[in-house]
Amino acid sequence: MDQFLLIALNGLTLAAVYFLVASGLTLIFGLMRVITMAHGTGYLLGGYVGYLVARESGNWFLGALCGALAVGLLGVIIHQVLIRRFQDDDMRVALITLGVALIGTDLMLALPFGSSATQVPIPQELQVPVALPLVGEYPVIRILILAAALVVGIALTLFINKTRVGSIVRAGVDDSQMTSATGVNVRIVFAAVFALGSALAGFAGVVGGTLFPLLPGQDGTYLLFSLVVVIVGGMGSVPGAAIGAALVGLVSQFALVYAPTYALVLTFALMVIVLAVRPQGILGRKTA
Amino acid sequence: MSRSKGMPASLVEPPTFWSKWGWIGWVVVLALAFAFPYLVDRPRFWLPNIGVKSLWLGIIAMSLVFLNRYVGLLSLAQMTIAGIAAYGVGYFTVTLGLPGPVAIALALLAGTVAGFLVALIAARTKAIYFLMITLALGQVFYSWASQAIEVTNARRGLAPIPRTEPFTDISMFYWAVLACAVICFLLCRYVAKSSFGLALEGIRDSPERMAALGYRVNRYRIAAITFAAFIASVGGIILVFDRAQVDPDVVSLSSTLDILVVAVIGGIGSLGGVFVGAIILTLLDNFAQDFTDRYMTLTGIVFILVLLFAPAGIAGIGKQVKRAVDRARSKRSEADESPQQEPPAEQPTGEAITKGKQQ
Repeated sequence: MDQFLLIALNGLTLAAVYFLVASGLTLIFGLMRVITMAHGTGYLLGGYVGYLVARESGNWFLGALCGALAVGLLGVIIHQVLIRRFQDDDMRVALITLGVALIGTDLMLALPFGSSATQVPIPQELQVPVALPLVGEYPVIRILILAAALVVGIALTLFINKTRVGSIVRAGVDDSQMTSATGVNVRIVFAAVFALGSALAGFAGVVGGTLFPLLPGQDGTYLLFSLVVVIVGGMGSVPGAAIGAALVGLVSQFALVYAPTYALVLTFALMVIVLAVRPQGILGRKTA
Repeated sequence: MSRSKGMPASLVEPPTFWSKWGWIGWVVVLALAFAFPYLVDRPRFWLPNIGVKSLWLGIIAMSLVFLNRYVGLLSLAQMTIAGIAAYGVGYFTVTLGLPGPVAIALALLAGTVAGFLVALIAARTKAIYFLMITLALGQVFYSWASQAIEVTNARRGLAPIPRTEPFTDISMFYWAVLACAVICFLLCRYVAKSSFGLALEGIRDSPERMAALGYRVNRYRIAAITFAAFIASVGGIILVFDRAQVDPDVVSLSSTLDILVVAVIGGIGSLGGVFVGAIILTLLDNFAQDFTDRYMTLTGIVFILVLLFAPAGIAGIGKQVKRAVDRARSKRSEADESPQQEPPAEQPTGEAITKGKQQ
């Protein structure tokens, strides 16, 4: 029973990282109907920036902030230079961002620490375990990350559904021409959403790089997992991404313990099953 | 938007220079390809590294282009299917010790069946979903192939897979591969021009209408994906005999992207253009290393530039230039005389990348 709970908790912390990455992807897709394949690149780059800043300054939060800002800024540049003109052509956006991912992989491999494992350092006081009922000792950093993911998820949902900016964003998605006719600068809204989504990937990179080592090739892995998460949860839905991330995280952790060889295969089997039953994902809207 | 796509060019436009004399171009290209072993200074380098590799890259990319152009689906699983066929050859010859021809036939079957299974899962989804799902399925196979030690021998892969007489001679092998490529090309063309291919294009443009006409839309899509899987499997079998072994790298993400790069550079709407793209990629692969370590970056930049400025790829550049010249000319004549007619509306160049509009 203890072990069962421990695996479940591990699965949920993994899910927290997956959720942070995938929420950015689903936000961008939900509002702009484009998929950015450079999302995994944002994850790894954010992790590296966070690693450098945290190592030099000794401040984890500064690292996380810089990681998110750097990737958000890169997102704006990519959006303005490469994507904006083709925003209605989702296939071309996907392919162009795949090209960006290809370049990103190669350039990050060329970094001095790019070909080995690195981990974002955390403050001493967070490296202690806490005692949890039923589970026993559990690293406090993992609990904090789980909490952070919850906060981000709730904040995002509230931001989109309850604030004025959020309603402008939703209006821009439904009918960007009408929205701009009411005096809203839709271009800036889209650029901001893209920046926010990218920044989430960068933040997730710092968080993920704290829990697990950052490795070359992880950009591809996390792109893939965030794709699976949004497919399972339903593209464009933040709560859907949370459900998808929880399912993917739990399945992969339990599979890792009980059927290690087939852990990845089982994770993807989950996606296949969801697709067979509900092609639009668990909370996805059917596109008209 | 894709009004003229379905019909042979001669039916829509008056016969142009190219449609009248185009076959001469094909003959010249074929003759050059056939004489390739005699034209290069170091056949032992050029034949395997450029010739054979371009051909199998081209065949696999051709299956992707076929799906994109005639079905409107962009599949990233084609390299995986080729890899399954390649693993098939490896498993049947190395592990089970079957003779070559039997192994090839079984591997073709394995690749095609794999494509059929992919189709069953993915055919219900559209456009960007299809892209993501085929990508994910490809990565499932990659992770399985790198772990399933009893079938795929994990990371070390299956080796050796030697070529048998008379294909041990590299020139003979090259010619055999060239013949395969030509046959695959003609087969794709034939299928595309058949009533089946026309129905596919109809489904691509308006699935609802075709369904109303009584076509089983999903079955057609599944059949097309399976056919493309067969073509990809041919490429995979050539690949395995070219490399003499098969390991998970064959189906890795970067190999998958290679196929996409080949298809996009060559022209994602052109069945023949892929070979141009394949030659460009293999040349980059072999010679870029002389002046830069960052060959992937270079490939990525070329890929993005093509997507930004020539979305129809190398094969579409001629048309693009012609359109630009026409536009310049019509502007000039407009300036000379009083404007009589609207210049032909510029066709969106993005048309080449078929938007999955089957929603």
